[in-house]
Amino acid sequence: MRYLALHLRSRRVPAALVAAAGGTLLMWSVVAAFSAVPDADPTMVVLLVLLLAASSAHTLGGPDDALERTGARRWPPLRAVHLLVAFALITGLVLATLPTGARFGPATMVVRDTAGLLGLTAVGAATLGAARSWFVPLAWTLPALMFPFAGDSVAGRILTWPSQPPDSHAAAVTAAVAAIAGLAVYALRGPALRNPG
Amino acid sequence: MSRAFAVQFRRFGLPGATVLLLAGAGLLYTVRWEWSPGWMSLVMSQRTYLMLSCPVAIGVGAWLARREHRAKVAELFAATPRPRHQRVLLTLAAVGGAVGLAQVAVLVVTGAWIASTARYLPGEAIAAAGVGVLAVIASAWLGTALGRLASTPVTAPVLAVAGFAAILSVPLAFHEDWQSTLASPAWGMNQFIEYQTIPGRVSAAQAILAAGVAVAAAILLATSRWRTRTAAFLPIVLGLALAVTVMPHDYDRVTIDPVAQQPVCTADTPRVCVARAHAGLLDEVTPHARQALALLAKLPDPPTSVVENTNTYLDESTIVRYGADTVPFDVEVGDDGHLKHPEFLLDRMLDSGGASAAGCPNGFDVATGMAAGAWLSGRQPRPDPNAGTYVVGPGETPPPGDDVVATRLWERLRTLPEAEALARVEAVRRAALECVDARGLLDGDTR
Repeated sequence: MRYLALHLRSRRVPAALVAAAGGTLLMWSVVAAFSAVPDADPTMVVLLVLLLAASSAHTLGGPDDALERTGARRWPPLRAVHLLVAFALITGLVLATLPTGARFGPATMVVRDTAGLLGLTAVGAATLGAARSWFVPLAWTLPALMFPFAGDSVAGRILTWPSQPPDSHAAAVTAAVAAIAGLAVYALRGPALRNPG
Repeated sequence: MSRAFAVQFRRFGLPGATVLLLAGAGLLYTVRWEWSPGWMSLVMSQRTYLMLSCPVAIGVGAWLARREHRAKVAELFAATPRPRHQRVLLTLAAVGGAVGLAQVAVLVVTGAWIASTARYLPGEAIAAAGVGVLAVIASAWLGTALGRLASTPVTAPVLAVAGFAAILSVPLAFHEDWQSTLASPAWGMNQFIEYQTIPGRVSAAQAILAAGVAVAAAILLATSRWRTRTAAFLPIVLGLALAVTVMPHDYDRVTIDPVAQQPVCTADTPRVCVARAHAGLLDEVTPHARQALALLAKLPDPPTSVVENTNTYLDESTIVRYGADTVPFDVEVGDDGHLKHPEFLLDRMLDSGGASAAGCPNGFDVATGMAAGAWLSGRQPRPDPNAGTYVVGPGETPPPGDDVVATRLWERLRTLPEAEALARVEAVRRAALECVDARGLLDGDTR
């Protein structure tokens, strides 16, 4: 228990939780207040998932990652569990809106985007360090939202995977690859060691 | 001062500016067709992508503020003899200067692509580009200020995503164009028509609002007590009030610039004119136009000039129909800034014997017009790359294309004696000028 509390504190999880809950509440209220239909626009759904993934980005590293690695702990399973819990929390938070008057769905798209964007964040953490890890999902998703792609080209569907409809196979495969790659790279290598800043 | 500025510029400004420059130029080059026609198109296109640049600038600003916090240098800097407002000014100048320069650099990098073909540079384009620069600077400063106020690891990503959501959705909350235009610097910047412009007063109103936000951010950064920080509301409220006053409330986002529509003509006869917006293409158009006039000369009462059709068809009451002495044609600009499909320009000018039926209330038979033109040029009708594709329903066979029907008519026309064929082509020309149905004029047994 003590270890868990220390882990959460060193990852500044409370700040991430506050940001995630606040962001969800804010976007939910905006959609509930202004949208004519109960289903949120797909762009808003993607943005909410992106917001939650990006606010969990800094929890992928601690204040001194190099020092941490010297500890006699098996880090890979811990890191994997950390990512999986983040995945569960984000999907839980978004899917909690489904029974309400402003629905952020469908569930398959939320699960796909959470997995993929969290995977990209993890890849970012393993390559750029935890503090910069949110660059990767943002750099992929914001242009993809600006250029919605509705054609048949597989390359186009892969490039704009976060905003593709939930039945797109190309998008699902891309998200799965990102998720698995992120989980594997981050769990095995951990956050890149860069000076924080 | 200059040394400190250089250090701040390198540390704070350059990383963000590089991201903005690469992203901005990259995005614009992938959508070259949007801005290849001219300077106003380029500026409006760049303003559209403020949708991305502004949130990125906010995120960059917040990230830089956070970085200073993480480096734990605030106390060290506070110990220097330079007063706080001067240090803040240095940071602001470094960040704002860098992202502002990046926004200008995007214009330079993309402008090089159209520099040889774009001529018409109205003051409105420069003003609109200036608003874009101001908007990125204001965004970056706002990000820096908020990033310093709430120095948490989530501030920068949350602000970037929230900024994107806001710039995307806030303008939609308003019903009037003038309100949406104040709500987002990227709103309404899709250019539908190449003669479109952004009125100077609209840019002025947007600039005032952006300046208000920028000053508010500077106040937030320069003050250290919460009570004095509330003063930041003042420039925002003032800027908003002033902007609402300056903004024309009847603003329509599709505003046409009459100067861009003015004809620019060749000095010698026969006269060939293009709209001022396309002035750089006059030399490319002229040989095709003169060839068309030479071929049309065999008609009785032939046209004597070729003029770009500057109708916008936005309002039926303002449509200008060109007379018998003029051949109107549409200028289309390709991705490279030059004429698009120049090899089809002659065919299009000869359509219906040089008389455009565009703007006729009941339309016009395309195939008949094409066949008449083909007889004048002596070349078989070709499928026009601009012809719309026919959507085939299930179990339906598509009708033959206009070029196939026109070829049939044209072959028939060629078997007729010269005088008879000429009379029929002339009849098609009359029909187009008078907006009457031309079907059957070419292939009927008698006229």
